[in-house]
Amino acid sequence: MAVSFQTKYPLRPITNVPRTHHRSSFLHVRVTCSATTTTTTKTQPNREKKLVVEKRFVSPPLSNDPTLQSTWTHRLWVAAGCTTLVASLAKSVIGGVGSHLWLEPALAGYAGYVLADLGSGVYHWAIDNYGDESTPLVGAQIEAFQGHHKWPWTITRRQFANNLHALARVITFTVLPLDLAFNDPVVHGFVSTFAFCIMFSQQFHAWAHGTKSKLPPLVVALQDMGVLVSRKQHGEHHRAPYNNNYCIVSGAWNKVLDESKAFEILEMVLFFKLGVRPRSWSEPNSEWTEETDLSSSQA
Amino acid sequence: MASSSSFFTFSSQTTLHSHLHRNTFLTKTQFPVPKKSSESNFFGLRLSPSTSRSPLSPCSFKSSIFAKVNKGQSAPDFTLKDQNGKPVSLKKYKGKPVVVYFYPADETPGCTKQACAFRDSYEKFKKAGAEVIGISGDDSASHKAFASKYKLPYTLLSDEGNRVRKDWGVPGDLFGALPGRQTYVLDKNGVVQLIYNNQFQPEKHIDETLKFLKAA
Repeated sequence: MAVSFQTKYPLRPITNVPRTHHRSSFLHVRVTCSATTTTTTKTQPNREKKLVVEKRFVSPPLSNDPTLQSTWTHRLWVAAGCTTLVASLAKSVIGGVGSHLWLEPALAGYAGYVLADLGSGVYHWAIDNYGDESTPLVGAQIEAFQGHHKWPWTITRRQFANNLHALARVITFTVLPLDLAFNDPVVHGFVSTFAFCIMFSQQFHAWAHGTKSKLPPLVVALQDMGVLVSRKQHGEHHRAPYNNNYCIVSGAWNKVLDESKAFEILEMVLFFKLGVRPRSWSEPNSEWTEETDLSSSQA
Repeated sequence: MASSSSFFTFSSQTTLHSHLHRNTFLTKTQFPVPKKSSESNFFGLRLSPSTSRSPLSPCSFKSSIFAKVNKGQSAPDFTLKDQNGKPVSLKKYKGKPVVVYFYPADETPGCTKQACAFRDSYEKFKKAGAEVIGISGDDSASHKAFASKYKLPYTLLSDEGNRVRKDWGVPGDLFGALPGRQTYVLDKNGVVQLIYNNQFQPEKHIDETLKFLKAA
């Protein structure tokens, strides 16, 4: 079982201390079980040790787990994010009307939608493959993504603001200064749609994990049309080798990025220049592999 | 030729330049290959064609200016340690064809695919009377683990400091950011008869070299 990969990630500190995190009741011990399965003649004791670690490792969150529910803080951040988006959109529309411009802001808006998909893919690729919970700024997100790979279905159990609040926070801090600094309708045409798609990408992502019968018909239609990332396409991302279909807005960039091997090229360059190995190069281990046995009991 | 290809060129074009007595054949080329250039490309767009040296086309991706080992030349000898730490010389293989493949690194996706493809076709190489040698800058311990994990039946050599890679003029990719993936087929006299370069379609190295050996 995955042993050597731990030594090949210079940027990932190996932590042996169980974490007590008030937020994530289901994320306790960072994977160190692999460190116990080193080459040794005594396989039996190691196996037992590994099982002990696995047992106290994690259990999937139940539907009523507080970590899946929205708090008022979550809602406030989502409200703040939406406010900045509405302000940006308003500036674009009002400014456009005032200047008798509609095509340029509209095109800028379309560009925002298109590039948000690309941006979501690049960010998702980076978060999925590099760093860990101790990485500054994004450590918690990396941990959350790892948990998501283990139990993909839980995203459909997250309440709306819970799911979006992290992105809403980023959008608030990014778009607010832009709202204050710029009045150009074209700039805001781009900013409002780009930021909207990024902020709501987690919702699109959740819908991509939904089942057709339970999703609103409009969502299903948008997925089928390719406006939103489809359930099938995103499902591919959750299957071995876990190195494709990273985009989660419309998914339009997935084919281009995967066929051009853009991420593979980036991974190779980072490996040779910085010595960092992406997680997707290692054999699927407990961090990637979906717990299908538990999923059926959770569904 | 590479100068007119975009950064991500996906068409699988190969240009094989076989033995002088054979007809050179082009497969699926979109643009003419300048016969006197030595360049690296991502997707097997070309190989080293002729024995004469020539200046690079301005927009080539390759890092070294001149290929030092060209088709028709006798490959320079080297002695490198194999996966067991034993020194192995190229000249030991004289008397039979040898496929020498330079690859970026052990345990990377492309190199793993390539190694496994050579493994899976190893019997065919043996049937053609050829030996297979893989060379990268990894050390013997890394090669040993890599060979053991994927049950590679052939020799992996450790080119510490990438000295042999440089001596042979294996071009890099992405302005030298990536070590190139280039395969040489030497005849029983140690003369280079085929050079194939393809960074991102590693399995093609097996197809092209086997095709060449079978036709030989």
